Amino acid sequence: MDTPFIVIAYSVYLPVTIMLTYYVARVLFRNGKVFMLDIFRGREEIAFATNKLFQVGFYLLNIGFALLMLKAETGVYNTQGLFEILSLKVGRFSIYLGVMLFANLYLFFRGKRKSKENQLRAEGKLAEPIQERERPKYI
Amino acid sequence: MISLNLIGYLTYLPITFYITFYVGGVLYRSGEAFLADIFEGNKALGHAYNTFLLTGYYLLNLGYATMSITWWNAIENTGQLVNELALRLGVIIMALGIIHYFNMYAFWRFAPKLKELYENLNKSST
Repeated sequence: MDTPFIVIAYSVYLPVTIMLTYYVARVLFRNGKVFMLDIFRGREEIAFATNKLFQVGFYLLNIGFALLMLKAETGVYNTQGLFEILSLKVGRFSIYLGVMLFANLYLFFRGKRKSKENQLRAEGKLAEPIQERERPKYI
Repeated sequence: MISLNLIGYLTYLPITFYITFYVGGVLYRSGEAFLADIFEGNKALGHAYNTFLLTGYYLLNLGYATMSITWWNAIENTGQLVNELALRLGVIIMALGIIHYFNMYAFWRFAPKLKELYENLNKSST
């Protein structure tokens, strides 16, 4: 019996998505080091550690998502169908990865802002944050 | 067994990929100067930011171009093949053009503000 088309689709989909995740993570976290050094003001040890933690999270999240989305919704019966299902799957995953990339970038910028605020506060150039009002105690 | 749809896909994909990579390269090279301007002097940060933007652009754009294959109509003759190819390529190239102008507008609109912000932060921290 010939290999069913769906098996071919899966065995192309998985390596492609995992390689894509790996490649994007490499780009993201090689450049992320620069951001982290900026955020932690040159303290290399903690900057690289944070970078690594983000990286592991990124891998887990995205490879997990790729596996979850593996199942094909429609049957695959010929070469054209194989192309269509692979395009849909890989394209969708790629868009998802792009959104994740920008979400990570948002986190980096947020970190930078917070670090700046803390620095200014330590130098007394920024007012202390307004304390949250104490919660009323319920009996 | 090669259907006309398949021929269409195999023509469409290389063309869109080539155009996306070409436009991305142009944006990347010219963007470097803008970002160096925004992140005053901090070239490493500007470069890192530029690389993020480029990767994100590739992922979103190529992802959409690839995914949109599912929405093609069934092709029965050569005339329809040309029609469909022109339509799909036209959509993607026009979208690229519109996004490009939007990007230029964003740079023009927000670059001075970002620059000012960055300068102020640097001033107050020294």
